[in-house]
Amino acid sequence: MENIYKPDLMEVLAVRQQTSDVKSVRIRFKDEEKARKFNFRVGQFGIYSLFGYGESTFNICSSSNWKDYIEFCFRKTGKVTEGLWQISEGDTIGFRGPYGNSYPTEAWEGKNLVFISGGIAMPPVRCAIWYVLENRAKYGNITIVYGARTVGDLVFQDELDKWAEYPNVRVVRTVDPGGETPDWKGEIGFVPTIVEKAQIPAENSVALVIGPPIMIKFTLPVLDKMGIAAKDIYTSLENRMKCGVGKCGRCNCGPVYVCKEGPVFTLEQLNKLPMDY
Amino acid sequence: MDKWLEQERPVAAPVRLQDNRVMYQPLTASSQIVSDGFVHAENSIKEFFFPRTEKLYNYKFVGQDVELQDVTVEDAPRMVLFARPCDAASLPILDHVFNWDYKDEFYNRRRRATTVVTLACTEHDTHCFCTSVGLTPDSEQGSDVLLLPLGDGNFEVRMLTEKGKELFRDLVQTSDKTAQIPEGPAKKFDVDEVLQFLEENFDSPFWEEQTLRCLGCAACAYNCPTCHCFDIVDEGNACGGCRVKNWDACQFSMFSLHASGHNPRSIQAQRQRQRIQHKFRIYHEKFGTYLCTGCGNCGRNCPVSLGVLNVVEAIHRRTVKASEKD
Amino acid sequence: MLKQLRQICKELLEEGKVNAVIGYGQDAPGKPAYPIFVTQPADVTQLVWNSHCYNNLAVYLTQKRIRALYPKVAIIVKGCDARAVTVLEKDSQISREDVVVIGMACEGVGEPREPKCNACDVHMPHNVDITVGEVPNPPVTQEQRFAELNAFLKKTPEERMAYWKTELARCVKCYACRQTCPLCYCERCIVDKNRPTCIDTSATLKGNFAWQITRAFHQAARCVGCDECTRVCPAGINLRLLNQSLALAAENCFEFRAGMDAELEPVVGAYSLQDKENFIR
Repeated sequence: MENIYKPDLMEVLAVRQQTSDVKSVRIRFKDEEKARKFNFRVGQFGIYSLFGYGESTFNICSSSNWKDYIEFCFRKTGKVTEGLWQISEGDTIGFRGPYGNSYPTEAWEGKNLVFISGGIAMPPVRCAIWYVLENRAKYGNITIVYGARTVGDLVFQDELDKWAEYPNVRVVRTVDPGGETPDWKGEIGFVPTIVEKAQIPAENSVALVIGPPIMIKFTLPVLDKMGIAAKDIYTSLENRMKCGVGKCGRCNCGPVYVCKEGPVFTLEQLNKLPMDY
Repeated sequence: MDKWLEQERPVAAPVRLQDNRVMYQPLTASSQIVSDGFVHAENSIKEFFFPRTEKLYNYKFVGQDVELQDVTVEDAPRMVLFARPCDAASLPILDHVFNWDYKDEFYNRRRRATTVVTLACTEHDTHCFCTSVGLTPDSEQGSDVLLLPLGDGNFEVRMLTEKGKELFRDLVQTSDKTAQIPEGPAKKFDVDEVLQFLEENFDSPFWEEQTLRCLGCAACAYNCPTCHCFDIVDEGNACGGCRVKNWDACQFSMFSLHASGHNPRSIQAQRQRQRIQHKFRIYHEKFGTYLCTGCGNCGRNCPVSLGVLNVVEAIHRRTVKASEKD
Repeated sequence: MLKQLRQICKELLEEGKVNAVIGYGQDAPGKPAYPIFVTQPADVTQLVWNSHCYNNLAVYLTQKRIRALYPKVAIIVKGCDARAVTVLEKDSQISREDVVVIGMACEGVGEPREPKCNACDVHMPHNVDITVGEVPNPPVTQEQRFAELNAFLKKTPEERMAYWKTELARCVKCYACRQTCPLCYCERCIVDKNRPTCIDTSATLKGNFAWQITRAFHQAARCVGCDECTRVCPAGINLRLLNQSLALAAENCFEFRAGMDAELEPVVGAYSLQDKENFIR
């Protein structure tokens, strides 16, 4: 009997601690056939099982070009993530997916891209950045602005360095005032302020903005002032999910199911949604 | 019925409990069945297609590895007897969500295996409003067989599907008697007007004014033939366990609570709004039918006499007042 | 009585002594009354008082949203409801200065009369600020109060287990019992906790037994016998028997009846040097 709720078994290849409460995990399908056949688009999410604890929803934060593993990143917050905190190489977890819609990377071709994220919201942007860099020639100038409360809260810091090495890629790092260390060489200021300060040329641009609500709230006017249209600003919503397949009735924002018609939305679409997220 | 039960084919029918309540229950003997003396059972028939709790699979820990064991849903023939038209009509409605791109075989297998024998209504009470959502006391939607009481202990039998014909073919005699089914409750509101109100009044203080007394239980949702929200949890120990799908309700305060502590629906008014929006706007936008059959169980079971009809009638009064002003 | 009640409420609202009156409204005679929140003096005409006033309105006294909207309230209670207000007060869940308790003389609710009313000795409510009406309030023996339970306890344990297995099989975990109970005021109920999961949320026999028995125990010496849980249960489970068994234990062990005496400290919430310690071995 086909069981849409049954996950695939995954082997944990590596666990990397990113911050005091954030880890990233690389997993691979135990079934070779499934590993070979699996495909997804950046922006989609999966539902990851820790048997005995439950399931949790995270974006697939690895590039869809990488075939050896998929990766997810989580903060230790609740029952499932506290359990996930304990896993190590060789353990078995479950995975269901890919679910949801994805970043329209084809529509982004030929455009300048602005990636803005804050704190633990970097991973869903990270997959898009790697994907785009792996097809560098198809895209225009790339600006990456990434900030966190403190230096210790920045994730994938080593990858930020690598991204800056690509042609026409500008990486701006920032921490909130008071979050810097003595040897901090990046910017100091809230992400929206730094975006404005960065004076990013905005013609023919598309922006992907993911972060805590307060960061998004103050970044959007900056992008608006820069001249990027609402239909060209993308974000990824999160809402409480359980089934991921549009049945359990939990994740909807008004008439829109985040698991089926999202999580990727343009600002234009977001403006039409009621405050139900 | 006894023959079916002897063959271990499950049958569910209205049964009278010791305190005079009537509820759909799995039968152990045909003598339990009641077919009259009540307007509607306290519960709905959805639990025979979408159980209150259901195992999705078992898991067992073997070192660092995990073994998953499938469960199968029995698809031996089963029957729901003497459902009401408002119960049977919920099945084609639920078919949409349980097959939206991903097919829920737990639901589908039971659906395919079950013959639904519906009993048309000869009376209604103040909670009923099937006629306001496009149904009637003798609606055929979702039924394999529709029985219409002739008043003399016999029924007019309409065999609507192959399953229905197979069951009743040898039990019927031709006759020229037809049943006289009463009209049912007067229409209490206009669904199109309600839909428009819902589209235009998401942030209105109406919601709190109308639903302040709601206690936040799930008596309405769990006895509703069309409410289908569910939860998925693991139950087990250090050796293994199972993952189960349980009924859940948008009325619970933790339903939409994020692990971060953020809750988009933190007050009951927002949760009530979600229920009405889901039934009369969201489901219709997605699937073209309303997520309500007007059975009235929500109102009958609500500890504070709220239910759905109360809120929708309040919407109706507003839209009538608004159009009078124009 | 109703006229007097409405006048009292009108004055309380006019004088600004309360932000709202929590009382009963009714759509039509003969239909169940339901809770209403009256904020305007002119609206006191919506208040009713009759044998259909089932709800225990004390449940709203601990609802955050209601108290945020209406910090000072007047509440209309029957004798059983008034007992709940007393328990809330003794459990430090409400500030009595913010609540004006209007006690209604009550001869019983329900047609036919609810079972709880047949052994009631609080027809005149205790510990209220204002009393409306007067009805006879003869004493009732413990035997009368626990007649139903004692008859049930005559069954063998096997019979009783079989009974509960059948009854609790119907529980759907809707938590109507919990949501309607004024003494179930925990911010996060034990059944909602998941670190660890103490009670299965599934509506299996295991999950249902665990839930109902735990709730009964958590209500020991706190349940006031308003019986709303039994009335609202959509599955028709006689929860009264569970709650009464613990109430009987509270009476026999501690001579305590929840909410009857506002001077007594709560059994589970208070500690005295005279407490028995013979269970510590």
